[in-house]
Amino acid sequence: MTIEQQRQGLAFSGSGHPTDQESLRFRRVSSRMSTQIYHEPNSSTSLAQEEEQSGSEPTLELRNTVFPMALKKAARQVQQMQVPAQFNGGSWKQKRIKFVRQFKSNVREFLYFFSLWGKTLQKIGGNFGGGVQSYFIFLRFLVILNFVSFLLIAGFVLIPSIVFRSVGIKPESSKADVSSECLKYDPNPQGLVVFYEFFLDLLSGTGFMEYSYLFYGYYNNSVIVTSLVGSHFSYNIPLAYLLTAVFYFAFCLICIIVRMGKAARVAVTTGGSDVRSYSMIVFTGWDYGCLGSKATKLKQRNIYYRLQVDLEEERLKKHAASLTLCNKVTLHSLRVLMFFVAVGLIVATFLAIARATTFSQENSHVPGILGLFYTYLPSIVITLGNFLVPLLCDQIALLEKYPPSATVVVALLRAVVLRLVSLGILLFTLWKQIMCHDSRDKCNLCHYNHEDYQCWETSVGQEMYKLTLFDLLVSIALLVLVEFPRRMVVDHWSCKLTQWVGRQEFVVPSNVLGLVYGQTVVWTGALFCPLLPLINTVKFVILFYCKKITLFYNCRPALRTFRSTSSAIFFLAVLLFGWILALVVMIYSVAVIHPSFACGPFRSFFRMWKIVPESFSTLPEGARDFLFFIGSQAFSIPLFAISCVFMCYFIALASIYGKSVAMLRAQLKLAGQDKQFLVKQIEKMKPLSPQHNEGEQD
Amino acid sequence: MGTTASQLPKESLSEYQELTFLTKQEILLAHRRFTELLEGDERNHPNPRVPMDAILTLTELKSNPFKKRICQVFSTSENRDGSLTFEDFLDLLSAFSDSATLEIKSHYAFRIFDFDDDGTLDYGDLEKLVNCLTGETADTRLSSEEMRQLISNILDESDIDKDGTVNLSEFQHVISRSPDFVSSFKIVL
Repeated sequence: MTIEQQRQGLAFSGSGHPTDQESLRFRRVSSRMSTQIYHEPNSSTSLAQEEEQSGSEPTLELRNTVFPMALKKAARQVQQMQVPAQFNGGSWKQKRIKFVRQFKSNVREFLYFFSLWGKTLQKIGGNFGGGVQSYFIFLRFLVILNFVSFLLIAGFVLIPSIVFRSVGIKPESSKADVSSECLKYDPNPQGLVVFYEFFLDLLSGTGFMEYSYLFYGYYNNSVIVTSLVGSHFSYNIPLAYLLTAVFYFAFCLICIIVRMGKAARVAVTTGGSDVRSYSMIVFTGWDYGCLGSKATKLKQRNIYYRLQVDLEEERLKKHAASLTLCNKVTLHSLRVLMFFVAVGLIVATFLAIARATTFSQENSHVPGILGLFYTYLPSIVITLGNFLVPLLCDQIALLEKYPPSATVVVALLRAVVLRLVSLGILLFTLWKQIMCHDSRDKCNLCHYNHEDYQCWETSVGQEMYKLTLFDLLVSIALLVLVEFPRRMVVDHWSCKLTQWVGRQEFVVPSNVLGLVYGQTVVWTGALFCPLLPLINTVKFVILFYCKKITLFYNCRPALRTFRSTSSAIFFLAVLLFGWILALVVMIYSVAVIHPSFACGPFRSFFRMWKIVPESFSTLPEGARDFLFFIGSQAFSIPLFAISCVFMCYFIALASIYGKSVAMLRAQLKLAGQDKQFLVKQIEKMKPLSPQHNEGEQD
Repeated sequence: MGTTASQLPKESLSEYQELTFLTKQEILLAHRRFTELLEGDERNHPNPRVPMDAILTLTELKSNPFKKRICQVFSTSENRDGSLTFEDFLDLLSAFSDSATLEIKSHYAFRIFDFDDDGTLDYGDLEKLVNCLTGETADTRLSSEEMRQLISNILDESDIDKDGTVNLSEFQHVISRSPDFVSSFKIVL
């Protein structure tokens, strides 16, 4: 009976590829199928047809088939019997392809062994889902980015500086024609230092830490040119410093864009369709990597919650569509009012930050613990604002009654604006003070506020250092003082209040924004504090382990999960926004503000950027002409025209692909309608010709 | 064919490497875990078959709500009792591996969801599927009204030819639009 069914199935399908019905029937047949294969001319011809269509890689095709192992082995034997019939060139090509494939899989296995924290990430993904795992993957990306940037900076700036200083090369004093007031720079404290001052200095970057490799002020403006017999060695530290900073920014941009391209490619191929549709949740919602009954139950509750929320959203939409005009007007006016309230809250935070920064800078010379508090005041205000304002915005969102998906997006946008613009306000306030917008007379002598800032770059670097450190301390303090006690209270003391508060939830978006904020601070400060990427690497590694510990011991997985793929692009877009902010700061510092006369590699230049044209003039004739040619109009205008042509080509290509995708989708729908039409015709013709149908049913 | 004693012969190893998506390490690990499930006397059998209850003790499958369907789909036994030979086990791991293609995964996902093995996903299959996904406890079951609304939405979205069931091509069409499917349809030992 089974052989007959097989023959029928094959005759019905007709093509060389096994259809779903056919392969299902193969499954039901007993395991003695391997002998049946040889008696089945149809099936072996179907496999042979498949081999012809697959071309030169028949063995690969077997993997992609859905036959059980016994069938695949038999098919492979058949193929191997056929292989000697081909001439030598074909089999050599096959061997080469097989070798390349084997090599690639070996390399991939080898690299996976080296991938940082691979097993940990797998465990996190299995127990808490893809959204939380994407946070840790993002964190790992930032750790590697910071470490490689530190290697870049160390190689080109730090090590040469150490070498030259140890050799005993003294910094050249500024040749500019300025008064001696501007050349005064005295970072080292006088006399003996009280013991706790050491600790305070460590936290705020002053004292013994100020005049060290940590900050800009320590680096020399040495330009070494030696022409010993037989070798010509020259090293220009200021130029190296500037160019390393520029390359650091370019390197980070390339990394972000490459990563964004990978994520965007995935998003575009699935493009446009509603990823929250019900079939998507039901068919693709389960994560087979879930381990343990607890994780499984949580995932099930998660899916249940998502389905309920979507069904409720649909009911709400139907309800909203049926609202009267009066209700709609009240709802929209309420939303506008709440929007202004949220904007008002955010602006109030900005004013508080600006005020705190000015106050801190004015009182930075107060000694002791109070002085430490004053120096950390901007960081404290920023952290408080970033903590309180999203909470208040959440309460506002309850009144706004957006659908749940829109609420998440709106909350995220508000948090992003708050975080990054608050950093911008801090920098703007600092800049105002350095360029003395309030008190013009301080800047007349040295083009910057030399009374308060003898070495303004170091001050900016110190501010960024303090922000980074404070961020880390706050995370650790929250972990120790809030999350662990919360879990202990909830676990061991059951009353209504603790049940309502519940265990900590690992909220991915706010954690990611914290990472982006930390990275933006590092980018802003890298020009003034070259060791900041190293400090940031260590900070992120500590943060990884802290967050891992808190995840496994204190948290329960969020009921509302975060979609991992669409959010990857969002995280990288926000990171890019932070990068742009840091770039603006760097361009401003390099091109607009006068470098300090008393410290740093650029003490004798009018602008930091001026080092480049000056070194330019020392280049050999040929290189200089080449670079001038590249910068000239004779080269750039044709280059611009050619890139416009290429861009038009790619835009045209993209629009054609989009159109063909839409056309194929429409064709698919039409094919379905054709099927329906034909089925109806068959139904109509059934009573007309009973003999025909009886013959077909065999 | 099959394994002899508790050692995997080299030709079989390279054959399995060619016919599945697994690497050499993964096949050896699978062989070790499989022989652990066998009882002592069965290990010398040329082609041992492990009953479904033993397979379901593996940690990777123990708490999976689709564990029974997975065993039944990959089993080649005559009486459809879900028992697996080593080669069935390799087929299972290959379909759930990192490098298996979307077509393979979606094909097997369709077979796993097809509870009554009739080649299409009808109302009963979808209802059982949703109950597996949300859990069988009373507080995580959808009400019958919600279930009806949900399944009619699913059929609206994915049933292109409007025959009231989801067949393999319609299923694969839905799957191809999901970016997370390939990474979530994964079981690694």
